[in-house]
Amino acid sequence: MRDRVRTTVAGDGVERLGLLASALSGRAVQVAPGEPGEPAWTDGRRIFVAADGSAREQLEALAVQTSLLASGSLEPDVVRKLTRRRAAARRYLAVEGHRALAANEHLLPPSLRSLIDCDVAAHSDSPAASLAAALSREAIADPPDHFGAIRARHLLASSEHALRRQRDPVLVELEEDENDAGTTADFFSSPGGGGAFGRLLQRMLRMVRHLDGSGPPGGDAPTHRTRSGTRGGRNVALSTRLAGILEDGGIEGRGTKYPEWDVHRQLYRQDWCTVQEVEPRLVAGSSPSVSDPYGLRRSLARFGTGLDARHRQVHGDDIDIDAAVEARVAVMAGAAPDEAVYVDSVRRRRDLAVLLLLDISGSVAEPGATGGTVHEHQRAAAAALTVALHDLGDRVALYAFHSQGRSAVHLVPVKRFDDDLGSLAGRLRSLVPGAYSRLGAAIRHGAAVLEERGGTSRRLLVVLSDGLAYDHGYEPVYGAADARRALAEVRRRGAGCLCLSVGAGTDAEVLRRVFGSAAHAAVSRPEQLRQVIGPLFRAALRSAEVRRR
Amino acid sequence: MSRIGAASATRASRPYYVSVGNEEHVFKAAFRQGLSVVLKGPTGCGKTRFVEAMAYDLGRPLITVACHDDLTTADLVGRFLLRGGETEWVDGPLTRAVREGAICYLDEVVEARQDTTVVLHPLADHRRQLPIERLGLTLDAAPGFCLVVSYNPGYQSVLKDLKDSTRQRMVAIEFGFSPAPVEEKIVAHEAGIDPDAAAALVRFGQAIRRLDTSGLREVASTRVLIAAGRLIAEGLSPGEAARAAVAGALTDDPTVTSGLVEMIDAYLAGPST
Repeated sequence: MRDRVRTTVAGDGVERLGLLASALSGRAVQVAPGEPGEPAWTDGRRIFVAADGSAREQLEALAVQTSLLASGSLEPDVVRKLTRRRAAARRYLAVEGHRALAANEHLLPPSLRSLIDCDVAAHSDSPAASLAAALSREAIADPPDHFGAIRARHLLASSEHALRRQRDPVLVELEEDENDAGTTADFFSSPGGGGAFGRLLQRMLRMVRHLDGSGPPGGDAPTHRTRSGTRGGRNVALSTRLAGILEDGGIEGRGTKYPEWDVHRQLYRQDWCTVQEVEPRLVAGSSPSVSDPYGLRRSLARFGTGLDARHRQVHGDDIDIDAAVEARVAVMAGAAPDEAVYVDSVRRRRDLAVLLLLDISGSVAEPGATGGTVHEHQRAAAAALTVALHDLGDRVALYAFHSQGRSAVHLVPVKRFDDDLGSLAGRLRSLVPGAYSRLGAAIRHGAAVLEERGGTSRRLLVVLSDGLAYDHGYEPVYGAADARRALAEVRRRGAGCLCLSVGAGTDAEVLRRVFGSAAHAAVSRPEQLRQVIGPLFRAALRSAEVRRR
Repeated sequence: MSRIGAASATRASRPYYVSVGNEEHVFKAAFRQGLSVVLKGPTGCGKTRFVEAMAYDLGRPLITVACHDDLTTADLVGRFLLRGGETEWVDGPLTRAVREGAICYLDEVVEARQDTTVVLHPLADHRRQLPIERLGLTLDAAPGFCLVVSYNPGYQSVLKDLKDSTRQRMVAIEFGFSPAPVEEKIVAHEAGIDPDAAAALVRFGQAIRRLDTSGLREVASTRVLIAAGRLIAEGLSPGEAARAAVAGALTDDPTVTSGLVEMIDAYLAGPST
């Protein structure tokens, strides 16, 4: 799978021109490869240029199409008059293309300015004037080949699509994930295969497994328990089956819905993912207290805001009289004086809420790079971080996540913000890795919880994951883009993001694609956390504080 | 003390600054009236250079303090140090400026802790006094003292913002990137390159500034363009220079970098192909 990630994300093609296109058109557009031999065209969000053309041809096509976008030549009002009139569209392009290029001239790279034909451009001073010229009987030369084409129907469709999406989000549910229908057999996940027998078998197994806590066998033990959710009063469903055998569908209308970023179409799919908080299934046995074995507390102690005077410092604002006298006495007595004779004001009051997201998808059950599974390493790191932050007086919560399709993204609250550490170890041990990871939805839900219940002005989201974002309809390229987008959203809302990969052998390049510019680090053992955690926290908090307007 | 970048500068020639609006008039009027000034604008647009030029014009020494988030009041005002068995008071940069009647320039003042900026209040309003608690002393600012702070409002910050009580004591001068012809002149002068090369760099910089949602936190500033220009002056090709000074400086993200490289190729590699 990693190889696939590497080969499919590498944007060596025309996609690389996206930034240039955005700069020229003054809006976010993407560049996509068009059909071979086809003239360049745009639907308003993407510009299609021939991937097999020379760099010069691609640039010329881009210059024309982006200038059209930038100068308002492709607004629906104008374009509507060009549908089903190919000749008129070509005439319009010939006039308007030069006008748009001329209007955009101050932005074009110098080498592309030769494209502009000032004589033609002078014919028209607005899209409407160009349109009038195109619809008249005036003789107009055909546009040069590199001008590409205007596809009125596609332009209108995409602008109407955007409108409709705002009005009625349900309509965009399409293509994949058709197995959401509810009763469709789920071949991937049920141990007894699909069909009635499989479901019956599952139900039986489920009840037996349910025994350990709640009631006698065969009693009125419910197969699904509901708990009134604190988020907006929604009910949260609990399936007591093991993590690895989640089932798609059947829980429509519950949980919290989140949008998802569709990188291919460059738009959000509204209410696309459903996230449920699922209570952890406790395993029996004593719960040893969790400690902070890696000495993280020291590294994390600096991230508060309040000030406090501290005595006997090497540097400081004031002289610490007691220490100074002692030092003087020591000098008089011929001993080496202690130079720490100042009072310094240091930050001490804690003002930080941290939410940790722990990836418990199937991929973390694989052996890590240095023995033990990735899950074991990540779990140890999560426990150490939780304990260290809790001891420091920070608000901390730990949620584990995995998913099976977009309607079943499950977050397991291992420790909520207001829980104490008592059951942390037991709950952590009960986590069983399985299923997939829809990273974006988990991040969005984590951020929502953090914002709602964190209660401090400094907020930090920590994602512990192997960086393999993968689920049904969530292939690596798409998933990486969505996760990156979700992290950017979180940062924009003022929380810091920090991504940690512990023990996984994931390629650094892949991690960077998933985590983007968020602070992230990969360490092979939890013991190494201590070295990276301080700078990472600092970077993550700063990224939240320093946001672009 | 080593943490503070304090420097007093008196120069032989006027630092190169091209006025684009009425900022010089506003500054000099504020200086004569003893008002404090806040300079607002994105990083690398010429705020510091402006202060240097003004200090030269007004014939005052300039003391610059680069603020950081551990800057304490003592760092600005001064502190007692131990020398042998004696305590010795050492003036901080602000106290020195108050005594000497210098222009004190606090760069990126938002970075400083809020309890630190409060010390500026009596200095910034009509009192023009600096109380030094530790000495039991209140200093009146010498004639010619002027407090100037800079502030980058583009960095919208959850935690850091200038207090209203601080801002209202100041006269604000807004800065932006200069219009293209002026910026071309600046880049050509500062980097020592010919006007055409400078114009190409500026055009490229302005294209980057048009990007909105691109994963760039900051756009290409005049400073960055000048850095690229100086590399060109050393004989690098415009493309190489822009890769090193602009693309590398703006982002670490590989996809954004490759997009920027495409832009560089389009804007700066043009004449050679």
